[in-house]
Amino acid sequence: MNPRVPSTLSPGDLLGRVNRDVERSILRARNGIRYVRGTHRPALGVTPKEVIWKSGKAELWRYQGGDRRYGPPVVIVHSLVSRSYILDLRPGNSTVEYMTGAGLDVFMLDWGVPDELDADNDLERYVDWYLPRALAEARRVSGHQEVTLAGYCLGGVLAALYAAGHEGANVRNLILMATPVDFSEMGAMVALLREGRLDPDQMIDDTGNVPADALYSGFYMLAPTTEVAQKATLLENLWNDEFVEGFQAMATWSRDHVPFPGAAFRQLVELLVRQNILTTGSMPLSGRQVELGNVQGNVLNAMAERDNVVPPAAVEPVMQLVGDPTRREELRLPGGHVTFGTGRTAFKHTMPQLTGWIIDHSDPPS
Amino acid sequence: MPANNPLWLRVVLRLERAIGEPIESAVRSDTYFDVVSKTTRVRRTVVGTAEGVSRRCLHLLNLPAGSDIRSMRQQLARMERRLNRLSDEVSELDEPGPRSGVR
Repeated sequence: MNPRVPSTLSPGDLLGRVNRDVERSILRARNGIRYVRGTHRPALGVTPKEVIWKSGKAELWRYQGGDRRYGPPVVIVHSLVSRSYILDLRPGNSTVEYMTGAGLDVFMLDWGVPDELDADNDLERYVDWYLPRALAEARRVSGHQEVTLAGYCLGGVLAALYAAGHEGANVRNLILMATPVDFSEMGAMVALLREGRLDPDQMIDDTGNVPADALYSGFYMLAPTTEVAQKATLLENLWNDEFVEGFQAMATWSRDHVPFPGAAFRQLVELLVRQNILTTGSMPLSGRQVELGNVQGNVLNAMAERDNVVPPAAVEPVMQLVGDPTRREELRLPGGHVTFGTGRTAFKHTMPQLTGWIIDHSDPPS
Repeated sequence: MPANNPLWLRVVLRLERAIGEPIESAVRSDTYFDVVSKTTRVRRTVVGTAEGVSRRCLHLLNLPAGSDIRSMRQQLARMERRLNRLSDEVSELDEPGPRSGVR
């Protein structure tokens, strides 16, 4: 006997259940065909925006559509290894849309897709060249002297180095989302490089960059069989248009990595991974020592408790290292690495708590 | 795992975990690390050797090999990068904007 069917079902209920199952089977067949054919793919990163600054592949976007009630502007610095549309995945399931809807003036610093021309981009290029110029433009168009700087994953490392390494950075709030500091806690993928079993130059291809495929394989090997569980769950929910759309959006993003600029990768491996230098609170950059403790303003260290890409243990030292100890706050969120952009926990916890914190640390509407 | 999942899905999810957990432990083991690093080195050696042989053959016929084209592309990219940096520096001199200075 099927345990899901109670024995006391009336004939009417039974008929209703049969009808529902038939309808779902039809929808499953339709969505299955669409899925296999690759049609009806969801539109990604569609919150209206304008490009307000560009240099090389880097672009600064300002999102439209909201009533900008709070200042200073929120500038999100994206990671160097993935596509920024994870933070603006789909209408109704987008951190950026949520923030603009709440009255924040949101900008995104997107690094584009690096190619041969970006192979020489080192961390200095990002921290001391792109960031100051992009932020100057954000200040100019928003009319605010200060910014709320939010870095996601490696973008958080860049944001923290900028805020610590620049006089007059004017960062009122620094938000570090799943930002690794202790690279000894970064798990298997990084261990190969840390222990010297894999040389960074072995991963760099003819373009001078680490190919996107290598990065994808690294993430894939963290949990190689989960795709089976995901596909089985998709099959069960194939009748549900919303579920299928969300699944396709996430599947697209998780395969859509970008090449990692070779020069920055070598530095990352030598300084951040092998020397684990960020845990000392100080890092050499452009011939000077950048002290993470020099960050002015409020610091929010946001981490995801079930993050297997950047585990909480890799993020926790921020609370001892970045900024003024009296202005540090920690935010622990349920969910995994992508809870900052999508998923049930994102909508229930991450988006409201992050947005609420930013609003609490912004100027009230005039 | 939601309790209202059908039986077949619960079985698949349990099976996936039963197989997945040992695999995930295996890919974090020293043996796996050794295999990956050795495979990477062997692959590079094999590819390098094959490229060397084909390059010599093509050069005998006075034809360019893939590695020649690659090296030319790298040189061009280096030159373009240098030009881009110079162009950035020139535009900086033309339009110095209010920016934070390094600490």
